[in-house]
Amino acid sequence: MPNRRLAKAQRQRPRAAAWAAALSASVLLVTACSGDPRGDDENVILIGVSLPLTGDFSEPGKGVQRGYEAWVEAVNRNGGLLGKRVELKILDDQSAADRVVQDYEALIALDEVDLVFGPFSTRLVIPSARVAEEYEMLFVEPAGAANEVFEQGFENLFYAAPAVANDHYNHLADHILSLPEDERPQTVAVASMDDPFAQSTAYGLRDRLREGGLEIVVDEEYPPNTTDFSSIAAKINASGADMVIGGTQYQDAVNIIVQLRQLDYQPKLAAFSTAPTNPEFAAAIGARTEGILSPTGYTPDAPYPSNVEFVELYQEMFGTPPAEDEANAYTTGQVVAAAVEAVGCAEQGECQERLVDWLRENEVETIVGPLSWDAQGRPEGAHLIQQYVDGEIRIVLPEETQEAEFVYPKPEW
Amino acid sequence: MDGTLLFQSLVLGVLLGGLYAILAAGLTLYFGVMRVVMIAHAAFVILAAYLAWYFHRETGLDPLFSMVFTVPLFFGIGVLIQRVLITRLRPATLTMMSVLLTFAVALLIEGLLGLAWSGTQRRVQLSYSGSNFEFFGARIAVVKLIAFGLAAVSLALLFLLLKKTRFGLALRATIQHREAAQLVGIRTDRVAGVGFGIGLATAAIGGTALSLDATIYPSLHWSWIGPLMAIIVVGGLGSIPGTAIAALVLGIGQSLLQVELGTTWAQTLFYIALFVTLMLRPQGFFGGRLAQRF
Amino acid sequence: MPNASDTEERTVEGTAGRSAGGFTPPGWVRNATLVVGAALVLLFPELVPNAYVLSAGVIVACYACTATAWSFMGGFTGYVSLGHAAFFGLGAYGTGLLIRDLSLQPFLAWLLAGLIVLVVTVPVGIAALRVRGASFVIVSISFVLILLLVFQAWEDFTGGANGLNVPRPFADLYRPDHHRIFYYLFVALLAVMLLTWWVIDRSRFGAGLKAVREDEDKAEALGVPTRDYKLAAYLISATFTALAGGLYALWFGDLDPIFQFSILLGAYMVLMALLGGARNLFGPLVGAVVVGTALEYFKLEFGDTQLHLVTTAALLGIVVLFMPDGIIPAAGALLRRLGPRQASIREVTAEELLARNERRAAAGGAGAPEGASRDAPDGASGGAGEPDSESEGGR
Repeated sequence: MPNRRLAKAQRQRPRAAAWAAALSASVLLVTACSGDPRGDDENVILIGVSLPLTGDFSEPGKGVQRGYEAWVEAVNRNGGLLGKRVELKILDDQSAADRVVQDYEALIALDEVDLVFGPFSTRLVIPSARVAEEYEMLFVEPAGAANEVFEQGFENLFYAAPAVANDHYNHLADHILSLPEDERPQTVAVASMDDPFAQSTAYGLRDRLREGGLEIVVDEEYPPNTTDFSSIAAKINASGADMVIGGTQYQDAVNIIVQLRQLDYQPKLAAFSTAPTNPEFAAAIGARTEGILSPTGYTPDAPYPSNVEFVELYQEMFGTPPAEDEANAYTTGQVVAAAVEAVGCAEQGECQERLVDWLRENEVETIVGPLSWDAQGRPEGAHLIQQYVDGEIRIVLPEETQEAEFVYPKPEW
Repeated sequence: MDGTLLFQSLVLGVLLGGLYAILAAGLTLYFGVMRVVMIAHAAFVILAAYLAWYFHRETGLDPLFSMVFTVPLFFGIGVLIQRVLITRLRPATLTMMSVLLTFAVALLIEGLLGLAWSGTQRRVQLSYSGSNFEFFGARIAVVKLIAFGLAAVSLALLFLLLKKTRFGLALRATIQHREAAQLVGIRTDRVAGVGFGIGLATAAIGGTALSLDATIYPSLHWSWIGPLMAIIVVGGLGSIPGTAIAALVLGIGQSLLQVELGTTWAQTLFYIALFVTLMLRPQGFFGGRLAQRF
Repeated sequence: MPNASDTEERTVEGTAGRSAGGFTPPGWVRNATLVVGAALVLLFPELVPNAYVLSAGVIVACYACTATAWSFMGGFTGYVSLGHAAFFGLGAYGTGLLIRDLSLQPFLAWLLAGLIVLVVTVPVGIAALRVRGASFVIVSISFVLILLLVFQAWEDFTGGANGLNVPRPFADLYRPDHHRIFYYLFVALLAVMLLTWWVIDRSRFGAGLKAVREDEDKAEALGVPTRDYKLAAYLISATFTALAGGLYALWFGDLDPIFQFSILLGAYMVLMALLGGARNLFGPLVGAVVVGTALEYFKLEFGDTQLHLVTTAALLGIVVLFMPDGIIPAAGALLRRLGPRQASIREVTAEELLARNERRAAAGGAGAPEGASRDAPDGASGGAGEPDSESEGGR
């Protein structure tokens, strides 16, 4: 019992330097004890997650949380996992890399969770995946779509979504390149946030278009905290590019569009990652959304059986249809559950390795369709393309699932 | 770089420089009256911008009207900071400790903004945010012009106040030689307090101007305080005209460099100017001899 | 371990404490304190209940290193640098980049990164110390901000905002073992710093630095080469900070400009050093343990909200306004005020100081001469050091 040892140490310590050390030990022990380690309840499977619930990424972070909660609800209604009830322990990391690492450290070593799920935001996946890797835990994640994630040599990592970021725009690239030479946009301007996810999406499209013979006339990159986009906009405007691609999150897309409008720049095509699916997007750019394109990995209308269930349950729990973040989180749960049910265990230790091995070999039915992974954990699929048509964001590509006709050229904004 | 783009950048640079000028003027004023490097200045600017955004969101009125409240409020806070906090510090360690104190205030504001409105980036949603007009081939956004006008008018008022009024005379005397000012009967404590208030009032104006065409988030003030501190050193600590000139020069420089180097590298211009100034001419290029002694 | 050597030299340690203040507990108390303290620090990895607490211990040890490194400048000379995160980040990135680009052995890269930071700091120090006070602060903050920009923008070299991945120095280690090794590495670095501090504190160089702190003009008039001394202190401080940063990089593995070049990290260093008492050998360490542990605890329990910013700010404000000399001296002062011999100890006049110095000279540094006459009240804690008599008298 470390407490007793500490008490003894406290009696012995005479003074200053000693209390420094003793204080450190004691406060840390308090931390340890208040951390609420489970252990007594054998009928619970505890799952640890760290998410940004406050701060910059709190919106998508809460979306992921809702997705996880919906999955827990669904599982427990159906009798739990392996007959045990599932509980979530969620810590708040505010999207800080140092914090996310400490959170997973605490979840695994202090709370002794049985399973972990991935955090939100690509840049946090690598540090947290390393913790999981070094504790030899299975790590299925809903948000690490960028190439770097899969190049770290992680053996326990799986991305629970249809496609990696580079492939998000594949349908759009196919469509543009299928247009007759003289109708195609000829020149392309690219501006991307220096963020693994945003860059991967934009550069995936850029590279495909360049290979297809289009000219990249502007290729700009900006740090995540940039707020002044006037010079980037000035450059894009001066280039007169036919098409503009934004590797964006949310606010940066709004700023770029507003600045471009201030310069009266009118492209024939405009594609931005992530931002256009945000409900506030239209109001933020002054309602001039017509024709703006964006990729998405999920649609509530998808016909897969578990998706129908998910949408219904989600509506019941939260009153709105689920969006992409929620869906990815739910998918993560489905993937882990499939492995757990198949292998028949869920705890730290060698069980985790068996879960990993099972996922390597098998395909999992999810709300975004059947998923399988290559050796690095990449899923093998593509994203849908959405466009604002008559004020609503609709799926326009690929043609077999389209809800509206692809609008080209884009109306003025 | 072709001519149009160059001219466009020049125009943007002048508009930006105007904003820098009013923000840096406040910063140099504090230093003048109290020998205090007010790290929290930019945090107050962002606070004012948030208040303008909040005001607009809640009332639907133009964010410019928020100045009716923020300017007097900030003036009062400024006086209080000087009278209640700064004067508590030991004179011997005033410069160093005041930096820490105002630094703490900056962190406090950042933290409270985050608690109140989260770290999400915010932007005032104006119906005229995209409006623009042509000016000799360049495009000028209406919001940017309003911000510049606001900065120019308040800077002009500040000049008039300093040059034409009795209070301005007392303030300048306090800046130049505190002890001598006391000897001729100026109540330098009160003058310093009011000086602080005026400085913070400029932050309210600058913040409102900023809110029209900028995205704000709580930690944004760090990317403003650096350039502002560089400007007041280059301009000569304590010299308001020097500050205004340095602000315009560096603002235009930044805007021109942005086209070639991108936003991030262009911002390093301020720091390079700062280091060069300290190496070659520590008292600043336009300012007086104040800086030499502190 | 240098820790152990500290405790062996009992007489010298006693004198060092006095030179910082003039009022020390008996020698055996200090020695016992040090022995137990060192033992607790060294045994910590064995005492902890799980790997998470151990990892928190590594973080606190890292904070202790940075706070102690900071006070080589902030404590000795009184020049407050808010930008020491710059050196931390440079050390971290330097280590990572040397490993990545030159494939150096990790710990060789670490030392080399420290050396590089030393060289880089020379021009920065010269610029910062050109003008007294205000510009030093401005340069110190600007330096962090400029490095943040450069490391974000120079993507090809630094990895930009995508971050830099530093390979593990010990491959395939189970995570708790990794923590244990780095805990001892940080403690060893801290011990080297404390020893260096202690040597400087007793040297002519240290006396010169303290003279700068008390009155730079007078020090200069008395022939202290103030500029060179300040620069030297700045270099030592920066290099140690960089070494702490390099170790952190090897331990943590993922570097991101926003976190390595963070103003907040610099603020933590200042807060920890001032809170514990920047002029004390163990002050920054105590401050780091208090602040670091509290930070870790609150972040775990309440999430990483903006609340810790507000708390940090409030604490910093309180320390600056009410106890600029730190808690150790403040607690000492409080104890003395409550203790039996308040008047004679609160103010040290020039005569008393002279008399004491003479006595000390007569004793020749053997034993702890004042131990008998200046016993601390029994059971008093926090008496490791004292506020400087000079600054007390100058009020």
